[in-house]
Amino acid sequence: MIWRENILLHIKLAATASASLNSQSERKERESEMVGPKYDCLANPLGAVRLTFEKAIASGADPASFDGKDWGAVDLFRQFLFEDGALSHVPILNPTTIKWVQPNTLVRFRGMIQDMLGNEFYAGAYKDGSVWRTNKFMDVCQYPMGSSPDMRIWERRLLYCIPVPGQNSWTESLSEVAMNKTSQQREKRQRMEDDASNHMDLVLVDEFESSPSVKKMRENGHASPSSQSKDSVIEGTSNTNFVTNAERNSLPCLVKIYDCPESELKLNEVFEFVGVLTLDSDVMADKDDQDESSYGFIEDELVHLPPEKVPRLHCLIHRKLDVNDFLHSSPMMEPKPRLVKETRESLLRHLTSILGNDGIAAHLMLLHLLSRVHARIDNVAVGKLSLNLTCLSKESVSVFGNQVRLSVQNLLPFTQCIPLTVNYLNTASLAPKKDYQTNRLIPGVLQLADGSHLIIDETQLETGTLNSTGVENARLLKNLMEFQKVEYNFEYYKMEMIADVQMLILSEGKSNIVPADLVIPFQPSSAASFEVVPAETLEAWRWYLASVRSLPHSIESDMQKVVESDLVAARQADRSLGGQDLSRLLTMGRLMSASFGETSLSLEHWQMVKELERLRRERLK
Amino acid sequence: MASDSGFPSFNDGPSSPDDSISTPIDNTFSSPAGSSRASGRGRDGRRRRRRSTTPTAFLTPRANQSRFATSSETPNTTPSRSNRRSNGQRHATSPSSTDDVPLSSSEAGDDMDEATPTFVWGTNISVQDVKSAIQMFLKHFREKEELLSRSESEIYKEGKYMRAINRVLEIEGEWIDVDANDVFDYDSDLYNKMVRYPLEVLAIFDIVLMDIVSLINPLFEKHVQVRIYNLKSSTAMRNLNPSDIEKMVSLKGMVIRCSSIIPEIREAIFRCLVCGYYSDPIVVDRGRINEPSTCLKQECLAKNSMTLVHNRCRFADKQIVRLQETPDDIPDGGTPHTVSLLMHDKLVDAGKPGDRVEVTGIYRAMSVRVGPTQRTVKSLFKTYIDCLHIKKADKSRMLVEDAMEIDNSHPRIEDEIQFDESKIQQLKELSKQPNIYETLTRSLAPNIWELDDVKKGLLCQLFGGNALKLPSGASFRGDINILLVGDPGTSKSQLLQYIHKLSPRGIYTSGKGSSAVGLTAYVTKDPETGETVLESGALVLSDRGICCIDEFDKMSESARSMLHEVMEQQTVSIAKAGIIASLNARTSVLACANPSGSRYNPRLSVIENIHLPPTLLSRFDLIYLILDKADEQTDRRLAKHIVSLHFENPESSEQGVLDLATLTAYVSYARKHIHPKLSDEAAEELTRGYVEMRRRGNFPGSSKKVITATPRQIESLIRLSEALARIRLSELVEKHDVEEAFRLLEVAMQQSATDHSTGTIDMDLITTGVSASERMRRENMVSSTRNIIMEKMQLGGPSMRLLEVH
Repeated sequence: MIWRENILLHIKLAATASASLNSQSERKERESEMVGPKYDCLANPLGAVRLTFEKAIASGADPASFDGKDWGAVDLFRQFLFEDGALSHVPILNPTTIKWVQPNTLVRFRGMIQDMLGNEFYAGAYKDGSVWRTNKFMDVCQYPMGSSPDMRIWERRLLYCIPVPGQNSWTESLSEVAMNKTSQQREKRQRMEDDASNHMDLVLVDEFESSPSVKKMRENGHASPSSQSKDSVIEGTSNTNFVTNAERNSLPCLVKIYDCPESELKLNEVFEFVGVLTLDSDVMADKDDQDESSYGFIEDELVHLPPEKVPRLHCLIHRKLDVNDFLHSSPMMEPKPRLVKETRESLLRHLTSILGNDGIAAHLMLLHLLSRVHARIDNVAVGKLSLNLTCLSKESVSVFGNQVRLSVQNLLPFTQCIPLTVNYLNTASLAPKKDYQTNRLIPGVLQLADGSHLIIDETQLETGTLNSTGVENARLLKNLMEFQKVEYNFEYYKMEMIADVQMLILSEGKSNIVPADLVIPFQPSSAASFEVVPAETLEAWRWYLASVRSLPHSIESDMQKVVESDLVAARQADRSLGGQDLSRLLTMGRLMSASFGETSLSLEHWQMVKELERLRRERLK
Repeated sequence: MASDSGFPSFNDGPSSPDDSISTPIDNTFSSPAGSSRASGRGRDGRRRRRRSTTPTAFLTPRANQSRFATSSETPNTTPSRSNRRSNGQRHATSPSSTDDVPLSSSEAGDDMDEATPTFVWGTNISVQDVKSAIQMFLKHFREKEELLSRSESEIYKEGKYMRAINRVLEIEGEWIDVDANDVFDYDSDLYNKMVRYPLEVLAIFDIVLMDIVSLINPLFEKHVQVRIYNLKSSTAMRNLNPSDIEKMVSLKGMVIRCSSIIPEIREAIFRCLVCGYYSDPIVVDRGRINEPSTCLKQECLAKNSMTLVHNRCRFADKQIVRLQETPDDIPDGGTPHTVSLLMHDKLVDAGKPGDRVEVTGIYRAMSVRVGPTQRTVKSLFKTYIDCLHIKKADKSRMLVEDAMEIDNSHPRIEDEIQFDESKIQQLKELSKQPNIYETLTRSLAPNIWELDDVKKGLLCQLFGGNALKLPSGASFRGDINILLVGDPGTSKSQLLQYIHKLSPRGIYTSGKGSSAVGLTAYVTKDPETGETVLESGALVLSDRGICCIDEFDKMSESARSMLHEVMEQQTVSIAKAGIIASLNARTSVLACANPSGSRYNPRLSVIENIHLPPTLLSRFDLIYLILDKADEQTDRRLAKHIVSLHFENPESSEQGVLDLATLTAYVSYARKHIHPKLSDEAAEELTRGYVEMRRRGNFPGSSKKVITATPRQIESLIRLSEALARIRLSELVEKHDVEEAFRLLEVAMQQSATDHSTGTIDMDLITTGVSASERMRRENMVSSTRNIIMEKMQLGGPSMRLLEVH
């Protein structure tokens, strides 16, 4: 029973410490308001939120009018991050950084929206005595929330985000740079600790009462300026306790979005969220909650997402990420025609050498890498160009297949590879499925971010029997290929979600499970040469692919006539040409001119496409 | 408040109890119609002597309660919620157990009421006003038709809800359903108050109801509750926001999870372990039961001796249900939202997972505490809906239900509210357009170019004809079956996909992957119970819908033969594994197939090209041959179409086209509400045309006898012309409908039944697979061969020659 008393004592101490800290930090804020920088957005974003709120109230605004609106806090951060260029100083949340990033500081998280957990209502503004307080951007009230009638209930959206599936390592190295910079500011942050983080410590004491960390924690409670360096170590260790439970390689994040129209954030989109990190043990206490049984009906999906595994991020600013945002030297040069052409040539050379000097395949590969769905008309996804490399045996795939896979991984940010076997088809869960027990969407392999690249290796496929899962999976793949749509299984019904995935199929004969737009028998004339590509070149290629891909496109009216008559002639010559083939030709034309960095189809490029198509058909014979 | 119309029924209010066992005194009390409220109070007072707990007694505490209600946006929501809930339930059941409660307190409460008007907290809504408004509504509401049609003498008849109350009393029910639309029609102010302050208004509603009930039958012991349904506007689940809290909302959704039934304690009885004294029932207070710390008996007063007596406590059923948005409410790139429903008492188990329901309830928010030990309240709120009424409403299915059957003349009242007035008006406006037929055709798969006649046929299939059931038992199907045969790459599959998306209940299957049982039905053993169960196949599942079968030609023979019964008798019969059953499969079949050699071979006959058994073919009303003609004109159009697909703004490419939602609404409305009949003119035209078709076989100049049309064709024609009338939302099939039907049939048949050697329509080709001219030719061939052989034989040549001839 002694330890219990100890803890009680400790709690008291911690409470007083936090109170004093709190007042201290507030005083500091006031002081800093008069001198030097106004707000410390990085280390104490909540302080900035609070101050702007108080300022807005002081200027006579009615807190009721803040519902769904910003009172200046977001503007402040926007200015801080983008105009003052502080964005790169904000640490990116990942399994490494989570170990040392402080709660209630500004972090950013890059990920894909995997699931939407609906809206959450919270007491947005309330009166503490006669002072208005706000709870925006935080989980737990900082001030006692009396039962005053003056309370505004606001709402925020919960998004469950995961690191983008198939994200390649080159996209991440950027964060290391930022980390060094931010570590300089750690000292300051240490001082700025909020009571909320202390509050978390209290819970920690409960949890790890017998562990050695308690002792350290206690010291932490008495946080004195002299023990700062030590503190940071302690913080590190105590946080590792959390992370050990979590999956190390992928860190999901529960993002809470404020005041944002629903249409702005969609499922499977890749975003960067900048906001306040909280690791609050909000639901932890509920586990042994006696009242839980009586209110058990509201089964909290969050129970399944303990904060130690899934950090919470109260989003201040979000922005949609482009491939360019993952590049290191972004923003790069303007797409100058000459530069584009040079990059195109070098990339094409690279592709040719990887594909064993098969020039046609390399050309088609380039077009394939540039494709994206740019319009949807009914069921037709216009702009997709899936490629099927045939004549690859089990042996040759180990050489060329790997080469292709590696270089695609180096070129594109998100890539996935599916080795298609009967066993895989029968067992894999390709489509996302809703689990009503936990009220979560269980991700499937085919829940991919827009612009992902998917290699399907069919060379391993042997004869066998598909079970019902296998048939379903094969159908899903086919649907994805044909319509760029994935059916999500909601148990009582299925819902089609649009996707934009570049698909490359490696097979021995023409693939019938996933019939691609372009089939080309692969004819290497030499072994794949492995070359070490300098990083700058790789970067240039990535930039080229990303920027050229997003170019707009149009057609001149006289060119349109030429294309039309060419299509008619082609059809007159070969009756087996269907609408799909003609459509594919046009897609190729578009991509061809785009690959030269041009925005409208020229006769020259159209001729190139026709020539390419002729060569391809010749090879098919 | 007491309007003129009110007067007559003030008199009949008390008159109704006359049939029951009420005392005559009531009449004398209430017949002076002037001061109805005062006399009402008097009645209450009297009544209280017999039934100790009249609900009125709770008016005051309730009004006080409501003080919590609006402040429930504070963290205190939890206690106040359960408190109110418990109050609501308390008088539901108390009569049996609280007979001996003294009356004085409630009397006092009444007095207080009259002295100072009670207001709903935070508003200027007077409790008394609301009460009298509800009274007026319940007593005097009559439906519009009733008001109009009834003669003077019948105006004294009771209103809708008085009848409902009487019925509830007869069947000893526990609730009456009140249509919110009725409330709105009668007193829109009351409706607004009810939606805005449901907790308070509904409590008053219950009180008024109990007053009336106890007037009619003083001995009625059950508590009757009011259940509101059919609000004027229903909220989309994802639009629920903080401003909806504590308001009445109506939601549509799908039940995805139901909890087990939770017994919730309402009243607890404790017993002293020392002396055995039973306490009075203790009701739930703020979600808790306060256990007495000492024995309440004066002689005992033992401390901590009270123990709960479980079997004397009262519990109520509670269930938590999770509701999810229906797929059609989900915007692009979103996942469905869910909301929790709290069901009480009779609502428990009203919906099962998978049911589509419409729920009326009160949206509530409850604050979350960080933990049981911590007094701090988290800033979060959990939301749920306190369910008042649940209605199973499967919209997509409901619309087609009974659409094709005339004999079902008892539409359930609740199903009728599918289209609101403005929508119907809009659709009717649409139908008045002179070119509605063309507009609809254009709107059907606008991105599949050309094929206008095929689209017209498909349109007819969507609308469907009238099914007929003769009293003799013979039935005629109303579904139109269509077969598309065509070259690859003529967007047949796209058409199919489109129709599948559009049709109310459709199944899309591919012939290659379908087996006979997969299409019809099969018997399996239930893994849990071991019973044999019948599992429906695609055709049965698409009952009253359209079953789209792609790659019909690649279907196995046995699977195809199953279709014979389905396509004409519209049933699926099963006789296996101890189950003999006949299942309804009133489905239209839309099949598409490639010609036998995958491309149409003009040298072969249609039958040889289609390569389907003639018995099956004749069951298709329309057979379209979609041929890829080597025609520069169409090629150019195709090229233009594709180029525009790639380079133009796809939105602006088509003009004057209905969007999918309107089209669906139009089709469902027509299928549900329009049942066209043949006009005399049309019937005449049909006969004439049919005779003409038959006669065409005996073309002057041709001696061959060809049966051009079969009776099946005339049925098809009737169906088609009915569908065409339906397209115009017309109840009458007119002459031009029939003419168009003939044209459609001919367009389809001309292509499929053209005898390639003669160029005339030849149904023999369809029915036997051999055209008349072919038969003639074969006969000629045989006879000439015979002649040659005979010649050679006569010449006495070697038998080797015979082989050459062959």
